[in-house]
Formats: sequence, C-alpha cells, structure tokens
Amino acid sequence: MILVIGGAYQGKRAYASEKYDIEEKDWTDGENCTEDDILCSRAVYNFHIYIRRQAESGIDMTKLAEKIKKKNPKLIIVTDEVGYGIVPMEAMERTWREACGRVCTVLASYADEVIRISMGIGQKIK
Amino acid sequence: MFHLITGGSGSGKSAFAESCILDFQGKNRIYIATMFPFDEESHVRIQRHRKMRKEKSFSTIECYTGIVKLEISPDADILLECMSNLTANEMYQENGAKDQCVPQILAGIDHLITQARNLVVVTNEVFSDGRHYEEETEKYLYNLGRINCEMSKMADRVTEVVYGIPVRLK
Repeated sequence: MILVIGGAYQGKRAYASEKYDIEEKDWTDGENCTEDDILCSRAVYNFHIYIRRQAESGIDMTKLAEKIKKKNPKLIIVTDEVGYGIVPMEAMERTWREACGRVCTVLASYADEVIRISMGIGQKIK
Repeated sequence: MFHLITGGSGSGKSAFAESCILDFQGKNRIYIATMFPFDEESHVRIQRHRKMRKEKSFSTIECYTGIVKLEISPDADILLECMSNLTANEMYQENGAKDQCVPQILAGIDHLITQARNLVVVTNEVFSDGRHYEEETEKYLYNLGRINCEMSKMADRVTEVVYGIPVRLK
C-alpha cells in the first residue's frame, strides 16, 4: 500500500501517476465511487471526500483501513490532509476531520511508503 | 530534555507523546490534562485518552490555568496535553491570564523544564485551513502561533506527527 498525502492542489495525483505509472483509467474518484470500487481498483484519489461521504451517511469507518489492507493491499491512495485548522463549530465537520485522521493513521501504519507532497515535491516520510 | 510534539487533528500525537514518555524509562510519569470538560464530546475525548494512559501508569494532574504554580518532583517525566486547550483556557476562563496569556504560559513551560526530569508538550497545528476568522479567533491563532514558535526555540527536540509517523523538525 502507498499513501500520497498533502494539502489541496499540490500535485499529489500527478506525482503518483508519474511515479507509479498509473493511467487515467486506473484511477477511482473518491467523490463518487463505492467501497467496492476502492477495494478492487489500483489507485484512488479524493479519498478524503470518500471519507466525508461516509461520515455524512453516518457510516462507521473503524474497519475501513483493515478491509483495504485485507482485500486490496497494493492500493495507492491519494488524500488531502484536512486536520490542520481550527476545530470546526459543526459536529459533522469535526467528525469528518477526525475520521480522516484516524483512518489514514491506520492506513499509514500498513503502508510500505507514505509520501507527503508540497508544491509538487514529494517527501518520503515512511 | 524538552520535546515538543505537534500535528493535525487525529494524527496520533497523543499516542506518540505517550510512547516518548515511556522511552524515558522513569518511575514517575505525570500527565497534565488541560482539557476542560465542557460538553459531552470533550468527555468522550477525555475518556479515550484516559483509557490510552491507563496501562502506562501515569498519574494525572488536571490543570486548566496557571501551570506556573504547579509543584513538580524532580524525578518526574511530564506529559502536558495540549497547548491549544491551555491557551484557550488562559484566554477565556475567568481566572485565566487573559492578555498576559503568552508570557504566562511560556513562564509555565520554563518552570516545568526547570522542575521536571523530562517534559513532553503536545501542541496542535491549527494554522493551515486558509480561512480568515473573527478577531477573537485570529487573536487565539496569533497567541498559539507565538507560543509554539517560542517553545520550539526552547525545545531540545521538535517532532510533527503525520498520520502516526514522526517527522523530526528539530
């Protein structure tokens, strides 16, 4: 498993496409995909949006990372880091941020590589 | 030794900070809890952290303001969590330091460094959502930012925890 993380608009997906040779058709978009899509695709981006959609539907995500590890251990995941602001007033916003952190922390522990992208430059932190 | 630990929301800062304290292999582990339990959600969070510490034999001091007044034994390894709460308490609580919050907190940190064997402080990255807030919140961000910058100067080691991965900054 590989995690590519960083702020919005930093070139994370372009970096991953080039580095891991991912074609456009191989990408799954977290904005509109199902869990099954994630579990059988090569690479997923907008993973933070997927988490948000799950949070909005009140779906428990404590087992998500484990499921990915078990069923799709080679997955390449591109996600925005979203936990770097003032704690939001709205409960849903807090739940989402927290879930992104928790799920990605478990995924990072399973990952062979974690790359953090800033301004298109990747820094390997694991 | 003073180790400053930062990170975003849900990044695993607490678990990492606790493991740092265990690595000191001392006999007296003290947890300074700064989160004031004002609602159900903070109770849940406090319970979660308590459970994490239970097996690690920490004694807990609840201190919402005025850490400068704490008396600490010289063999103590202290974990203070978290600076973002302490700053809010000092700014907004009735007996807080109000406008003097930055120098008061820094004096408190200096006091803990002098008194204890080791100090680990957990703070929070809350500065990168690109939003502009109301004056009070901006003042809070300004104060916490200054406190973090000053603490990092005082620290022997600074680590940012990213999804559970420690990234060393100093």
